[in-house]
Amino acid sequence: MTGPATTTPRPAPRPPRRADRPGDGRDGDRPTRRRRPRQPLPSGLLLPALLALAVALGYPLVRQVVLSMQEFGLSQQFGRPPSWVGLENYRELVTDPYLWKVTVRSLVFCLVNAGATMVVGTGLALLMRHMSRPVRLVLQSGLLLAWAMPVVASLTVWQWLFDTQYGVVNWLLTRLGGDYEGHAWLLEPASFFLVATVVIVWMSVPFVAFTLYAALTQVSEDTLEAAEIDGAGPVQRLRHVILPTLRPVMLVVGLLQIIWDLRVFTQIYVLQKAGGTTRDTNLLGTYIYRLGIGGGDFGMAAAVAIFMLALTVLLTAPYVRAMLRQEES
Amino acid sequence: MARRAPRSLRVTANVVGLLAALVAVFPVYWMVNSAFLPRNKIRAPEPTWLPFGGDLDNFRTVLGGGTFWDALATSLMVTLSTVVVAVLFAFAAAVAVSRFRFRGRTSFILALLVIQMIPVEGLFISQYKMLESADLLNTVGGLTLVYVATVLPFTVWTLRGFVDGVPYELEEAAMIDGCSRTQAFLRVTFPLLAPGLVATGVFGFIQAWNEFTLAVVVMTREDRRTLPLWLSSFTEVNRGTDWGAIMAGSTLIAIPVVLFFLAVQGRMVAGLTSGAVKG
Amino acid sequence: MRIKRTLAGAALTALALTALAACGDDEGDGSSADGGPDKADIRVWLNGADTPDAAREWLKETFEEENPGSTLTIEQQEWDGLVEKLTTALSSESETPDVVEIGNTQAPTFTSAGAFSDLTDDLDDLGGDDLLPGFVEGATVDGSTYAVPYYAGAKYVFYRKDLFDKAGVTVPTTLDEFVDTAVKLKQANPDPANFSGFWFPGQDWRNGAAFVWDAGGELAVEDGGEWAGALSSPESVAGLETAQKLFAEASGAPKDGNEADPQTPFCAGEVGMMSTPSWVMGLLTDPKTGCPELADQVGVFALPGSDGGPAPVLLGGSDLAVPAKSGNQDLARKAIALMLSDEYQTILAENNLTPAKESLASLLGDDEFAQATIEAASNAKLTPAAPGWATVEGSRVLEDLFSGIAQGGDVAELAAKADEQMNSQLNG
Repeated sequence: MTGPATTTPRPAPRPPRRADRPGDGRDGDRPTRRRRPRQPLPSGLLLPALLALAVALGYPLVRQVVLSMQEFGLSQQFGRPPSWVGLENYRELVTDPYLWKVTVRSLVFCLVNAGATMVVGTGLALLMRHMSRPVRLVLQSGLLLAWAMPVVASLTVWQWLFDTQYGVVNWLLTRLGGDYEGHAWLLEPASFFLVATVVIVWMSVPFVAFTLYAALTQVSEDTLEAAEIDGAGPVQRLRHVILPTLRPVMLVVGLLQIIWDLRVFTQIYVLQKAGGTTRDTNLLGTYIYRLGIGGGDFGMAAAVAIFMLALTVLLTAPYVRAMLRQEES
Repeated sequence: MARRAPRSLRVTANVVGLLAALVAVFPVYWMVNSAFLPRNKIRAPEPTWLPFGGDLDNFRTVLGGGTFWDALATSLMVTLSTVVVAVLFAFAAAVAVSRFRFRGRTSFILALLVIQMIPVEGLFISQYKMLESADLLNTVGGLTLVYVATVLPFTVWTLRGFVDGVPYELEEAAMIDGCSRTQAFLRVTFPLLAPGLVATGVFGFIQAWNEFTLAVVVMTREDRRTLPLWLSSFTEVNRGTDWGAIMAGSTLIAIPVVLFFLAVQGRMVAGLTSGAVKG
Repeated sequence: MRIKRTLAGAALTALALTALAACGDDEGDGSSADGGPDKADIRVWLNGADTPDAAREWLKETFEEENPGSTLTIEQQEWDGLVEKLTTALSSESETPDVVEIGNTQAPTFTSAGAFSDLTDDLDDLGGDDLLPGFVEGATVDGSTYAVPYYAGAKYVFYRKDLFDKAGVTVPTTLDEFVDTAVKLKQANPDPANFSGFWFPGQDWRNGAAFVWDAGGELAVEDGGEWAGALSSPESVAGLETAQKLFAEASGAPKDGNEADPQTPFCAGEVGMMSTPSWVMGLLTDPKTGCPELADQVGVFALPGSDGGPAPVLLGGSDLAVPAKSGNQDLARKAIALMLSDEYQTILAENNLTPAKESLASLLGDDEFAQATIEAASNAKLTPAAPGWATVEGSRVLEDLFSGIAQGGDVAELAAKADEQMNSQLNG
């Protein structure tokens, strides 16, 4: 593997690859793990996961691909034989100019949200190391509560907070001297997406912060101390010791944020019900729901799902490449 | 760890931490506050900041009839099985990809990534058919199966990162000391993975605990409802939604998550305070 | 390219994964031609808390008495996620219930898809012409009826008597008078600023539809089997302009808001009139949910039309249907017959649900609420029975239209845009 994905012993930017050299395992002088030659064990270890995925996702996935090339609506669901339409669903999809508008909107929204979530989440995880114990506990409990709150409740509460007439946000801003009496937060698309971003970042940060904090436990104290003795400042230590250790988990978590934020549905759906103009605030998630499942056109819904998959793969290609590079030792 | 931090950094960290905690908690507080208020106080021109004058009526409403306990039992069974099975399966797979080299390894990892990217919202019909043909509808096992598959890719990936983080040399050293390979792994590496297991376990727990879309089609029998389905029974189209009941129900639903976290979070801290990996 | 090879490998892995899971995909032929066994357990899906317990008990007891050896089980379902649930369960012979309740605007999607059994031949036994006509029409495709009404929910106008007196207005008897009254109320109550002579949130197309219909317009029309949007017809536009006048001069509700929780602004003293479902009265009089002191001042009337009669309003409610894959067709029909019987419908009426049969409307009583209900229901309309109507509602074309009108947009332009969107959706 490239790069110090594991504990990096020295503050030096990048230790050379040394997969060929055995270490003694105690002096902290080993940049990478070693793997043994091929063994029969892995199949036994992999099989349970493989089976579970195959059974629960494999067949539905194949069916999804087949569906995407059929005309399959509710009638077919109730027994009428589906007709094969080849790529017609896809053609209809990509020739819809509104879809491309929504796609661009979704991409921007996704990158802003995933970026904001990662920055806030990573920042909190890093700062947690420096907080005094009680404060850290308070923050962790707070994040956990936010994470544990059922989605129905959190979306309802956020909707109330930003309510045009009875919202706490308007109430506070008015008391603070602003002209926010009856301010409609969802009316303008930009303001709508701002509220959506606040809600989504609030909902996603706990997961990121927790997972990265767990990953931080793998940062070697000894290495950090050694780095400090060698004269590395806090920024250098962060860059050369801490972040490289976090990297593999950050990549996964970041990838997940991109995937989730690209197909965000519930938050937008609920906010659209509360206000704003649906056509100006649709993202791929809500548009697709309306296109397919909402109208019972499952063939189209499947085509859209495949389209989303392709889009996600494209969007995350650099990420995936970085992850694979890690794999190649 | 915090001992080393300069004073200014620590103060900044504490201030940011408290502010962040406030923002994180406020909506939760609002939910709990609303749970104690009558419906005409929940939404009104003047916000009610503290539940003075409130009562337990909303909790009585949601707990009346005893349907909560059935749903709680189902949810606990589904969620705990999901967490245990997913973490076990994923852990095994993570060890395989991290500690062994075998043909198809990279492909497996990439496949996991791609699976993660597939929009699952539209899959519920096919998953329903699959469970139907296996006679698993309205069963804890059936729902667990689809949940496990949903959280597996992330869990494998994350745990893999954690296993990678423990240098193989630690195990080798133990083997030199006379342990078998498995023993070495269990005694040396496994304890260092606790934070990762906790993090992925909490993730799986919350995913399964709050899932609605699949549960609503799989669990159609009233006595097999999970908690989110139970909660949705207070969303009434024809009589107006009883928000007080929704908030009280949500508060009750959130409690087990907090308890679960409290039960496992010690492991996360333990990993930290023991100095973690002496790589 | 390394990446390429890995991708190919991943594809292979994915294929291998799926090969393991070659489950059967037999859809079944869906024909349950015979009426099913004489004795069986009939499963009835009812949604939410609308059906009172007394009705449930009566149904179970009577059915089991009249059909010895058979049982009837009511399985409680929720409105939330109902469409997804029906989409899956009704396609499965082993899982399908024998009788389902479904929202009257959800029904057309399923009737045109063959999910329900044809009830045309049973219509006469079930009530015939006495059944609420709008409901039967909405569940009829190509002359065959697939669902029957269960109950309706009436909607009428609530008004504040004290504010009427203060502003010196009386209960309007035509639509023009209604609009005038709303505007006058607003002018007479400058404080609070968001006071509504008529509370009309921007997304509320369900109330807005009445103005379109009253002016002679339609949401959509069928011509030679093809559905098309009709909002930009001159009649519809006239109706939409009435709505715009109300938005601009009479309503203080959010221009992009929805019609949920009307009791909140009402109890805050911000509403002179509002058109809401009848059960809102229960919320207003309860000290925990509403404001009994203001509720004392409430009067109701059915929204008047231009001709002086009741205006055509959108009627909500539920249908009953027998899933096509149910193996107990005959027994299921017997259960439905019981649910439409006078005894059963009386229990519903006593719980303020509008009965499924017109002849039973008098069961609601003769106070002003019952009068308003009966009057409103007498000229009620349903959403167009187009196969793609669910898509129109799903993509929120009408919410956008009315909210655009509320914000002062050009009516004709907005209506033309909405028609264009609907044209691509209405025909499924």
